[in-house]
Amino acid sequence: MNDDILTLYYYKDGLSESELLQVRSALEKDAALRARYEQLCKDLARLDAPDTVSVAADVTARWHDSIDRAARIEQQRKQPAGRLLHVPSFAWGTVVAAALVVGVGLGFYLSEQREPEPAIDPGPMANVTPEVHLPSVAFARGMQVHLRESRQELAALPPDAGEERAMLIMHMIQQNRLFERAAEQSDAGDLARVLRAFEPILMRLAANDMTPEDAEALQAQLAFELNVMLTKLGKNASESTGPI
Amino acid sequence: MIDFRKLLLAALLMSIGAQAPAQTDDAERLKMSALEALISAPPERALPIVRKVLSGDSSAKLKKRALFVLGQIDLPEARAQLIETARTGDKNLRLEAIRTIGIGGDPEALAELAEIYKTGDGDARSAVLEAYLIADDRNAVYQVAANTQDPGEFEKAVEVLGAMGATEELRALRDRPGMAEVLIDAYAIAGDVETLTAMASDGSDPGRQAQAIRGLAIAGGDGVGGVLVDIYRGTQSPNVKEAVREALLIADEDEAVLELFRASTDAAEKRELLQTLVIMDSDAVWDLINATLENGQ
Repeated sequence: MNDDILTLYYYKDGLSESELLQVRSALEKDAALRARYEQLCKDLARLDAPDTVSVAADVTARWHDSIDRAARIEQQRKQPAGRLLHVPSFAWGTVVAAALVVGVGLGFYLSEQREPEPAIDPGPMANVTPEVHLPSVAFARGMQVHLRESRQELAALPPDAGEERAMLIMHMIQQNRLFERAAEQSDAGDLARVLRAFEPILMRLAANDMTPEDAEALQAQLAFELNVMLTKLGKNASESTGPI
Repeated sequence: MIDFRKLLLAALLMSIGAQAPAQTDDAERLKMSALEALISAPPERALPIVRKVLSGDSSAKLKKRALFVLGQIDLPEARAQLIETARTGDKNLRLEAIRTIGIGGDPEALAELAEIYKTGDGDARSAVLEAYLIADDRNAVYQVAANTQDPGEFEKAVEVLGAMGATEELRALRDRPGMAEVLIDAYAIAGDVETLTAMASDGSDPGRQAQAIRGLAIAGGDGVGGVLVDIYRGTQSPNVKEAVREALLIADEDEAVLELFRASTDAAEKRELLQTLVIMDSDAVWDLINATLENGQ
């Protein structure tokens, strides 16, 4: 049983009921495996600890953090009498940040800790694309979740140009950058390039300086690209997931 | 079975492609879905279908999506078609093909973009720079910046280098005359604390120094508070002092502002620093206000 499965077991994510039972049973029977799992728990608990927030404050996010602070300052200058807190945005951002810290931290952890997977022969029925380099099942799942959530967030964007829409898109950009960095760290350059290609589109959508028709077309193109990548990742992940 | 499904899909796409110009939204959506599903087809089967879509009378939207799929096909013929579209296609498709080359990241295809940049219009040049950004091809962007005499073009390339975090390439451009402002912004975005610290500590040009100080705050870093405090103490220029206060505010270094407040004996300066702390919403500010009201200190 490899560390990916144990990691998924730790997070109770991505395993069916029967798989969870199998892991539990294996842990009860195998002392060496139990010791390995306990060590993994410690390592992952460290990742969950607040100091992993430093990953999110990396150089790629710093620019936007500074902009946020500058925006706050500007806001305070304009409204010295009181501070405004947009509760739904704040709560939303907190949830996203928490998910990111775990997801990206996991990606970094796995990229640093795991030994490389043995190469898989694609066989004669190779797909349209070269296989996306996915260093672990957990990373692939994290990336799929990110793409799926991006697709949902894109579909749920308010149609009217405005501050709320721009803020939501900026959050998407920040999230996308973190996963792009995680992809780089995990030696998945092809995925990182695709994620980087999403950013200029998102920036244009956030700029609110195009016609609604153009914005809709751009959004549709991005949704299509997200779908294509999800299809590709889903296929690769299902092919690389071995039995427990 | 999978092969059979893929063949059916191909047939579906081709038949839709041959329909009359009056296409319904449903038909368009069906084509989009079919294109999307093509990603899991064998490349040698997918390529002719994508080519057919690109050369047929499909909508521009569908062709753009077909280009994205084409970029994911790992065959030399697909790359050649992409380059050809980037060179000679309809303008919108050309720009999309350039972007797709960036996503693919193939060095040979990326090398072709240099020629497209040289001969292209403003939109094509912007698209090429974006493709380099996507492909993380720092050297290609550096070559654009280093070889142009046009300030606007230089600025765009430097902005891209900043976004790429291309510290070394930006440092190599540092001596470009008259472009310090653009470069400082790029250093800030790239997080080049070292270069910004050197420029922020150099008082020979107060305007540039003030800008570098703000850039340093944006770039951040562990020691930025200490560096800014040193600069503040080492200058007599009100403008530089103001830039430092603003930088401390941007960098959220309330401890450093507090340090300066406590050390200052100048009432006007203390007022400025206290105001900065209030704007920063620092926890320490209420104790300070209390002490100031009680003792006038």
